[in-house]
Amino acid sequence: MTLAHYQTQFDQLLDRDDAHGPIHQIRKKAFSKFLETGFPTQKWEDWRFTDLSHLEKQSYQISDGLDDPLTTTDRSAYKMEGVETIVIHNGHYQKALSSHHDGIRVFTDPEYINERSGQIKTIEDDPFDLLNTAFMDSCLYLIIDRNINLKIPVRILVISSGIDPIMVSPRVYVDMNESSSATLIEHYLGDATSTFQNSSLFFSIAENSHLDHIRIQSNPISAHHVANLDVSLYRNGQYNFFQLSQGSELGRSNIRVNLKEEGSQCTLNGLSLSVGNQHLDNNILVDHFAPNCTSSQNFKSILEENSSGVFNGKVTVRKDAQKTDAEQTNKNLLLSKKAVMNSNPQMEIYADDVRCAHGSSTGELDKDALFYLRSRGLDAITARSLMIRGFATELLGSIKHEGIKNYLTKALDTWIMEKNKK
Amino acid sequence: MLEIKNLHAGVKGKMILHGVDLKIKQGEMHVIMGRNGSGKSTLSNVITGRDGYEITAGDIVYKGESILDWSPENRALAGIFMSFQYPVVIPGVNNTYFLKAAVNSKRKHNGEKELDAANFLKLIKEKLTEMDMEPEYLQRAVNEGFSGGEKKRNEILQLLCLEPELSIMDETDSGLDIDALKIVAKGINKYRNEQRSFLVITHYQRLLKYIHPDNVHVLIDGKIVRSGNKDLAIELEEKGYRWLESA
Repeated sequence: MTLAHYQTQFDQLLDRDDAHGPIHQIRKKAFSKFLETGFPTQKWEDWRFTDLSHLEKQSYQISDGLDDPLTTTDRSAYKMEGVETIVIHNGHYQKALSSHHDGIRVFTDPEYINERSGQIKTIEDDPFDLLNTAFMDSCLYLIIDRNINLKIPVRILVISSGIDPIMVSPRVYVDMNESSSATLIEHYLGDATSTFQNSSLFFSIAENSHLDHIRIQSNPISAHHVANLDVSLYRNGQYNFFQLSQGSELGRSNIRVNLKEEGSQCTLNGLSLSVGNQHLDNNILVDHFAPNCTSSQNFKSILEENSSGVFNGKVTVRKDAQKTDAEQTNKNLLLSKKAVMNSNPQMEIYADDVRCAHGSSTGELDKDALFYLRSRGLDAITARSLMIRGFATELLGSIKHEGIKNYLTKALDTWIMEKNKK
Repeated sequence: MLEIKNLHAGVKGKMILHGVDLKIKQGEMHVIMGRNGSGKSTLSNVITGRDGYEITAGDIVYKGESILDWSPENRALAGIFMSFQYPVVIPGVNNTYFLKAAVNSKRKHNGEKELDAANFLKLIKEKLTEMDMEPEYLQRAVNEGFSGGEKKRNEILQLLCLEPELSIMDETDSGLDIDALKIVAKGINKYRNEQRSFLVITHYQRLLKYIHPDNVHVLIDGKIVRSGNKDLAIELEEKGYRWLESA
């Protein structure tokens, strides 16, 4: 194992860190744990289809960016209408470029950590969250107070740029207090030549709160992206997740949703679009702890050329989680003979009074439908495009915010068009 | 309009059509009758250019040109339309979107100005009324959740919008109740004129109560064994196909 390089980078990071700050000790502890586990190998059940050897071979450097205004990069390409944006550039929070509603309080450490007596939430023994904890650049804490309903979506824009191979570790906590609601967009973009982006996000959704979370992974194609997402829902909390995954050579989302208290609900939808040698992997665990909770997962992948994908979705229904209503669907469209999809829907049920359903299908475009469209005068490319779009649009229909829906629809259409040019 | 000459065709190495000859002039309506497996659907599929069929001999000439090498869309743009025996469900593809794209593809091909959303809506609403279809149809995906009758009506609706010169009706009458059959027949009759030709494929005589063909042909084992006028259909109804098989 060649983690020595990460050790060197870690030592450099410690040098520039405040040795007396609360983060310092948290980093050290996490890194030594990470050294024990190392990167997952394909012998690990959850990593069977995803090869991480590149992360050990490539010499990524820590980002030397600062929590300072970003002035050099042209930001016009990163615009999105009708949202408030919090900017993270190469891992670092850009306060001067960020704006947000008064109803949302934004902290960086150490003030927040000090408030919590030096403790922050982590994902137990997860190598990537350990690595993120050790290397976290600026860590952000977003707090939405009780009874606050944010009408304008808040976007966390994570930009990667530069020509050196860099490693960035954004870390964000979002605490939604009772009876609050918000729409949060997590948006990955940039023009970095080579980047290993390892992000961790924690959502805590308190009683009667509601979060719509849209994650758009449009990183440059050379990126290696791992996202660790941990969501906890309390009584009657509601969480709607949508992910568009189209960037990165390797894109892996580790999604954990914990339905901790009665009456909580989540819907998780995802659309992955891959070309070339891209590998897009979704690893999902929905954990039903409490009775009367509802969860649904609907993930679709469209794979072109030599690309590959993974859907590894699991629902766990614990002993006390009676009257659980859980469903899980995975549908995949292979547009090339060389594309490969690995689909593995699983359910682990320990309660006896539940309704659980799952299904998975993988196939090519329906030839009869293609002929039907062509027989009406549409050329082969238009007919294919229409069908690909049709396969994906069901998911986009789940997004309530019109502006975001339009943005994503445009992204999908652009992807289909680019593909046709080849 | 259409001339089929000594057509031999098959699928997956199995020959189905063994020398079909058929000539349809402008403004004529021809009916082909035959039992299941006689080659009726193969004939309509090879005229419209479906993949997977092999043509070993003969020719299909449309408006004076051989179309054997033409793509399905070029045949459609040239004015050939098939009403499918089994219209295909296309999840996620909206009817309005699809039909507008099809209409505009044809208009573009004909050198006409493409219709904008408002003008297209005007056109489609008029046709919907003709076919006794609800406007909510426009919001649905192509044939998704449609009953058998709705699917067939949708085929005629598309025909009315695309205005083909040669319409092939592949068992449009099967699976229809009497009311739906009347609506479909009304659509066909209204559309019919001395410029437009029809090839109606069926194995029942009952559609012929409502439409009036110029010629009726009987297809058995991939060959037209008898041609005549409407009386032939009535004779078939009385005697079945067996007397022709032995002939």
